[in-house]
Parts: sequence; structure tokens; C-alpha cells
Amino acid sequence: MNESESGHSWLSLGGTVSLGWTERLRRFPWSLLLLLLLTIFFGFGVLYSAVGGENNLWLFWRQVIQSSLGLGLMVGVALMAGEKVFRRFAYLFYSGSLLLLAVTMIMGSVGMGARRWLEVGFFRLQTSELMKVALILALARYFHDHAKAGSLGWRDLGVPFAMILCPMAFIIKQPDLGTAVLLAGVGLSIIVVAGISWRVLFTLVIVLGASMPLAWNGLHTYQKQRIITLFSPERDPLGSGYHIIQSKIAVGSGGVTGKGFMAGSQSQLDFLPERHTDFIFSVLAEEWGFLGGVTLLVLYALLITRCFLIAEMANDRFGLLTVVGATMLFAVQVVVNVGMVLGLLPVVGIPLPLISYGGSSMVTLMIAMGLLAHVSLYSRQHGRSV
Amino acid sequence: MLDDDREQFRGDARRRLLLVGGVLGAGFLVLGGRLFHLQVMRGGEYRTLAEDNRISLKPITAPRGRIFDRDSRTLVENSPDFEVVVVPELAGPLRMLFKRLSRHIDLSEEEIKHLLQQAKRQRSFLPLRVKSHLSWEEVSSIEVRIHEFPGLDLHSQSVRYYPFDALACHVLGYLGEPSDGDRKRFSRMTYRSGELVGKSGVEQHYEERLRGQEGVLEMEVNAVGRHVRELHRNPPEPGADLYLSIDSDLQREAQEAMGEETGAVVAMDPNNGEILAMVSSPTYDPNQFIRGFTHAQWQALSSNPDRPLTNKAHQGHYPPGSTFKIVVAMAGLLSGKLDPKESVFCNGHLLKDELRFYCWRRHGHGSVNLIQALTQSCDVYFYKLAERLGIDAIERQAHKMGLGAVSGVGLDGERPGLIPSRAWKRKVYNASWFPGETYITGIGQGYVLSTPLQLAMMVATVANGGTVYRPTLLKLEPGETPEVIHRNYFSTYHLEVLRQGLEAVVHDPTGTAAKARLDGGIRSAGKTGTSQVARHKREKSGQIIKSTNEKLQDHALFVSYAPVDRPKIAVSVVVEHGGHGGSAAAPVAKRVMDRYFAKYGSSS
Repeated sequence: MNESESGHSWLSLGGTVSLGWTERLRRFPWSLLLLLLLTIFFGFGVLYSAVGGENNLWLFWRQVIQSSLGLGLMVGVALMAGEKVFRRFAYLFYSGSLLLLAVTMIMGSVGMGARRWLEVGFFRLQTSELMKVALILALARYFHDHAKAGSLGWRDLGVPFAMILCPMAFIIKQPDLGTAVLLAGVGLSIIVVAGISWRVLFTLVIVLGASMPLAWNGLHTYQKQRIITLFSPERDPLGSGYHIIQSKIAVGSGGVTGKGFMAGSQSQLDFLPERHTDFIFSVLAEEWGFLGGVTLLVLYALLITRCFLIAEMANDRFGLLTVVGATMLFAVQVVVNVGMVLGLLPVVGIPLPLISYGGSSMVTLMIAMGLLAHVSLYSRQHGRSV
Repeated sequence: MLDDDREQFRGDARRRLLLVGGVLGAGFLVLGGRLFHLQVMRGGEYRTLAEDNRISLKPITAPRGRIFDRDSRTLVENSPDFEVVVVPELAGPLRMLFKRLSRHIDLSEEEIKHLLQQAKRQRSFLPLRVKSHLSWEEVSSIEVRIHEFPGLDLHSQSVRYYPFDALACHVLGYLGEPSDGDRKRFSRMTYRSGELVGKSGVEQHYEERLRGQEGVLEMEVNAVGRHVRELHRNPPEPGADLYLSIDSDLQREAQEAMGEETGAVVAMDPNNGEILAMVSSPTYDPNQFIRGFTHAQWQALSSNPDRPLTNKAHQGHYPPGSTFKIVVAMAGLLSGKLDPKESVFCNGHLLKDELRFYCWRRHGHGSVNLIQALTQSCDVYFYKLAERLGIDAIERQAHKMGLGAVSGVGLDGERPGLIPSRAWKRKVYNASWFPGETYITGIGQGYVLSTPLQLAMMVATVANGGTVYRPTLLKLEPGETPEVIHRNYFSTYHLEVLRQGLEAVVHDPTGTAAKARLDGGIRSAGKTGTSQVARHKREKSGQIIKSTNEKLQDHALFVSYAPVDRPKIAVSVVVEHGGHGGSAAAPVAKRVMDRYFAKYGSSS
């Protein structure tokens, strides 16, 4: 791999590189994997307590299995695929995912009042999970193919916006506001890095802000309730305000050092609902205190920083934007979930990455991490031409 | 030039990455700051909230409505069920505690071992259930010494209690854990874990009335879940009591009269449709559902071939046999095609298209008119009558007398019975109706099916002169008008003819139900029935060879009402595999009616 071999420009398609297995292993971003493992193990400790120790041990073991599966997928995605596979199939994958979302809308199965799952043989496919990865790849491919010098104006952004809004519409209809917001955040980040003109970005922010009242009217009653509740949880302490009040008490009572493993009275006495899924951060904060909470936040920050370094070293636009998308998929979830648990953001059903119990979000995240590692494999730092 | 572009983009992308990273970093700082604010700055405040004074809302279960019989005697009530729990954290050494406790409550070494194991698995500030279903002695023995046992507590909850065990168990029904189906059906109500729902009988049908509305208790609770003080109480709304039309005395008499037999008894007031007794045999003890079953007990109950959990009174499908002749006779009278005085000669069988249709009496009844045909239950007479009327006329009359459709008695799972017709056979079998099938329908065999409840309605309709009342298990309020399903207009003459025939069944020396004659000379009317379960083999001579297999024996049926001049009670009895209606079923009806007239007298 040297300069002369790749006669391709940064702005055009990159050349194909085929790497040997030892080379792939050598290039694998082991430090990223290490950080992921640390976070996952940290999560096991919290989950063990959140499911109530030995009483619900099966939940714990399931999570261990799901995590292992996720790690396997990550390594598989990173190592097995050729350099351009993801770029080549990005649009196809996106179209397929969009189609599945539409199918889910029509014939998906309903659980807890929402239509999110498609029964595929013996398991339930949450099609919006597929879309998370598909959107990242499709946007990255679009900006890769339509690269131009200078910043991007309104005309350049029509297609990308449509690519974001279409799946969002389906997902909002499900209704799953959390995932829709997540897609918007991820999509917007990609567009920002791809080179949106500052003026357009500024206008967009203003327009979005101004259309808030309109969006408000489009929300479901329960979604409005959650936002009202955020600002005055005491209005309905047993109903919609219950989660936030109990979560804040759990977090606050943890103090600096926490109450100790399995000793959080809020968590263990059932005051805290959904404590092993969306509200698991409260369990951590109650039992391990400020120190535990900050430790996890630092772990997350390190992970995100490591991901940004990979982005910076990416070999082409597609790689760079894929990494940005995957990183933001992770980061937005962290910020929204922790913000929600701490009573800063409304309650939307977004799990805490790598820590919350749940298979589908874990698998999606690890696939995104695999994409990230895959980009790293073929990045500049390994002597690939610039 | 390309390199310039590339470098420019790279530089640009780096700046933009920094922007995104910066926004994220700011987000993380806000989160960290918030964490610091909640945990470090206001930690003490929240700690107080968490540990000392937490408001906990406890639902207060509404007492379920009680169920009484028509004389306001309690059939179902609520009784407290006590359990003793211990909070290990507050109790000190558990083994010692259990040892001391076993002096006051029945606690085996085995149970103690199990409890100690359980305590190890469980968080120590959560209460551990030591023993449920405490007896009164155990409760009082612990209550006076409760201060000697720190961490020990007595909890009570209200459970259903059926003071007369199996009395009217099928009418009352039992409670159980709500299934998905139950939750869907009673979707207006929420069931917390551990709460029960009516699974059968009136407990199920009147669930919404019986259940009431739960209340809320606002308490301050400390970190280990102990109540500090009560703040506010929103009392529950108790469920409504039910007053059944059932008469416990009659019910008990009927249950005892059935004894070990399998079958059903329905007694009703022919003048308003109130059900006075409804028995399905064998029975079960609904208290068992509260105490819980062992696996073996449940197996024995649920796989018993005599189906003790089914209420055969409204779910049992039986061929009505000769009791159906009442319907055919009435159809004949109303059609104008039947002269009651006209005689038919019965030589023991009827030949039709090479087929022999036998009378139950092989030698025949000789020359019989309608009254004699009813009295002696002559089959040949009714073959001929049925032939003259045609199947569809019979079917119409049967429906007008309460057969062939659900009655709406107020119990779930009621079965409709079956009255065949040409159209029905076309639809179900896609075949045409054969004349022979009209014959056997004329004697209540073949496709005809009815429930004991429907048979009681049918005979009650004759008793009251033509009105089919909606049967009800709820006692009518004074002045409440009973609901009418159908009103027949029978002429006095037709009713008189039919009455004479049915009275003779019991009182004529040739009648088939001499065993139903009531004490005290009260005149009753009735009709026996013997419905065939399996086709009997016949010798060449026509002699029936009855199987010795008990399950292949005929069902015995009897329907009747009394007193004949002013009927006050109508009864139907089905004894599965009982043999003859006159010998197996009639005595049961007699006991129920005797009990009735002993209690209420025959006049007024």
C-alpha cells in the first residue's frame, strides 16, 4: 500500500484494497474494543443489581448472551467485509429497510400500544433498528457520490433531507418518538459534517425552533403529557410524573459514593419503574453515587473520542460520514437517556447504550461499532494513501 | 488541484467534527453538572426523601359483593386470611426466631429449612412470608406476643369463603387468576397481581357488579418499606351483594337426592322464571380453589370423566327422549290435525320403507288415544303424529317452548341445544331430510338435544299456560316484572287435554312415573324420558339386549310440575346412564317437590 498504488483522488471513489487476515487483525482498533468491553462489563454489574440479583438471574444471563452476540457481530462486520461492500449496498439496504418499515406499518404486530414489530418466523424484527444503520450508510454514500467543493446549500440537501424524513414519518406514526428523534439527530450530524453551509444550518435551527408549536399539536396526548411533566412532575405524582420524581430521588439519594451494590432502596424496593431498561442509569447513580455516574460518563466520553479519532483518520468521505453517523447513534442515545433519567429531557423510550437490558438495541449498536471498526481498518493511519 | 480539494475538505471536516464534538462535549458537561447538582449539592435532601418519608400509595381492595340465597342466607362471603411475615433485617437470627415461632404456629423442620434458604436468596429488608392461611388460634397466639418477635408482622387479606362447601357450587362458580381472555372481557377493570376474577357461575357473570371499586391509601413509608403513618385514605367502594333466586333448602335436597349419580336438576318457579334450584352432579368444593390444589387433586378434578367442573344444567346436551312428546303433542293440538280422542293402534312397531321403528314396549300398547299415549309413553302413536305434522311444524313448536336456543339465564358458556329441521340438515349435512328422521324426532331422539334448563322451561311453559319466561338466577325484586321470551296462546281445552295426559303419567296406574307421586296427596303432572345413548342390539325377536357397560346405559329424564291446578314449581331431572326416567329421575323430582311443599304449602 503506497502512494503510487492508489491513483485515486480523495474526492473520487477510493481504490480497492484487499487485506490479508493477519493484516486485518493487526489493523483492528483493539483500543475501541477494550473500551466497549469495559463499558459492557460495567453494565453487567449494574444490571445484576437492577434485575434484583438472583431472583431474576435469567434476565442477566440473557443480557450476557445478547452482548456476546453483539460483540461477535461487531468483529464479524469489521473483519469479514471487503472495503467497498457497505458503500455498494448502502442504497439497496436503505430501500429494503424503508420497505420493511412500510410493511410493519401495515401488518406489524402491536405491543404496548405501538406497532413496531414484524413477525419473522419465530422472532420479532424491530424494523426501525435496521433503519438506523441503513440511514447512516445511505447518507454517507450520497455525500460520497455527490462530493463537491465548497459548502452545501439548499439545493444539495433536498435528497438527504428526504432520506431522513421518510423513515422518520413511518416511525413517528408507530408511534416511537424516541427513535425518530434519534434518526433526526444522527442524520443532521452527518449533514453538518458533510459540509452544510453555515447559513443553511442557521436558518434550519430557526425554522425548527419556530415550528415547535406546530409539532406540539401533532404529538400524542401521552407525549405531550411527558413534556408537561418534565417541567412540573409534581402535577401528577402517581401518573406521568412518577418516573421522573422517583428517578430523581433515586439519583439524588445516591450522594457522592452511593448506597452500595444491591443496596439502593429506591431501586430494590420497586419504587423505580423500568429500572433494568430505560432507567438503569438511576440504579447506577443510586448505588454507586456521583463517582459511579461520572465514571460511566467518562467511559462514554472516551469511547466517543476514540470514535471521532477514527472519523478523522478515515480514508474517504463515505468512511468519515459512516463513522460520524455510527458515533452519533451512540452519543445521542447516551445524552438523551441520561438527560431523561436526570429529569432534563422528556421521557422517551431510549435505552442506555451497552448498559440497558435489551437485545435489539444492543445488536444495532454493535453493528454500528463494527462499521466503525471496518472504516478504521482501511484508514489513513495504516499507511493508506491520502 | 485534486489534492487541494482533498486537503480543503479534510480541513473543513475536521472543523465540523470539532463542532459536533463540542456540542456533544457541552451535552456531557450539562449531564455531569446535573449529576453533581442532584447528588452532591442536593444529595442530602433527596436522601431524606428516599429514606425517611416516602409516600407510597397502596391500593385498598374493595370487598367483593356477597351472595345470598332467596331467604337471605349467606352462600358466599369474605373472610380474612392471615399470613405471618418477617423482615429478616429487623428480626435477628432467623433460625432461633422460627424455632420459637413453631411453638405457636404449625411450622415443620422442613418448612424452616426452606424458609432459611429463601431468606438467603432474598434482600433482607423485604418481608418474607413465613406461613399463610393461619388458623384463628395461631393468629391470636401470635398477636398477643407480637412484641416478643421484632420484625414479625401479621398481614390479612380478604378471601372468598363458601360456608356450605359444595352447595350450589356450579351456580356460584369460583375465582381464579385472570387470564388474557378475562382481562379483555372485563377491560373496564384492572387486575393487580394476586387479584382474582370470577371464572364460572354467577361469580363470573356478575363480576362487574360484585367487584366494586378499589380505594387508595396514601402512606409514608420508610426505606425498609415500613409504614410510618397514614396520610390520606380514599375508601374503596364495596361490590354489590347478589340475592339469588336459589332456595338453599331445595338446592340441598336436590343435591342429596342426586347422591352419587351424574346429571342435573333444575327447579324453577313457572310463574316468573326464577330458578329455585340448579344442581349439576358431581359437585366440587369451591373453597378448594381458595386453598389451592395439589397437582394430584387438580388432576383428579379436571380429568374426572363425570366432569364435575361443568354445570350440566345449562351446558349438558342430552336427547330429551320422551319428554319431547309434550312438544309434539302440543304441536299436534295446535295444528288442528289431531283429534285427541282419535285412537291409534300400536302393535309394538311401525314399518316404513322396509325399516322397523319399535315402540319401547315390544308387545305394543294396543289402541291408544293422545292421553293414553302420553300416560304410557307410546312411541308408535308419536311416530304417526310426527309423520302427520312434519318435522318443520315440530321444530317451530319446540322453539316456541324454549328449546333449541340459549335461554340467557345469566351464566357463561350456556349451550343452545338443537332442534333439527329440513333447512338445518341441508345446511349442516347438505342432505335431505328422511321421513324416518321425523319419527325419531317425534320421540325426542335422533338429532334433538336440549339442556336440563331448557327442559325445565319447556315444562314450566305448559304449567303456566303458555308463557316462556327468561330463566333467572337473581331473585326478582318485589314488583319487578319477569322477562318474557315468548308468549304462546294455548286454548284452555288444549291445555286441559295435555294436563290430563301428564297428570295420568304420575297418577294413573298405567303411568310411567308412579314414583313421582307427592306426599300429602298433592297432584302433580310430569313426563318421563329415557334417552338412548348407544344403539341397542336387538335379537331377531325384537328383544332389546341392554349393554352392561354403565356408560352405554340410557339417560333417565323426568320433567314435571305441581300442583296441577295451580302450578308453583316446575322441575327437570336428568340422570346420566340412570336407565328409566320413571325409576331413576322421577324420585329425585319427587324429593325436591316434597321439600318445596313442606316448606311453602300447596295453596295460596
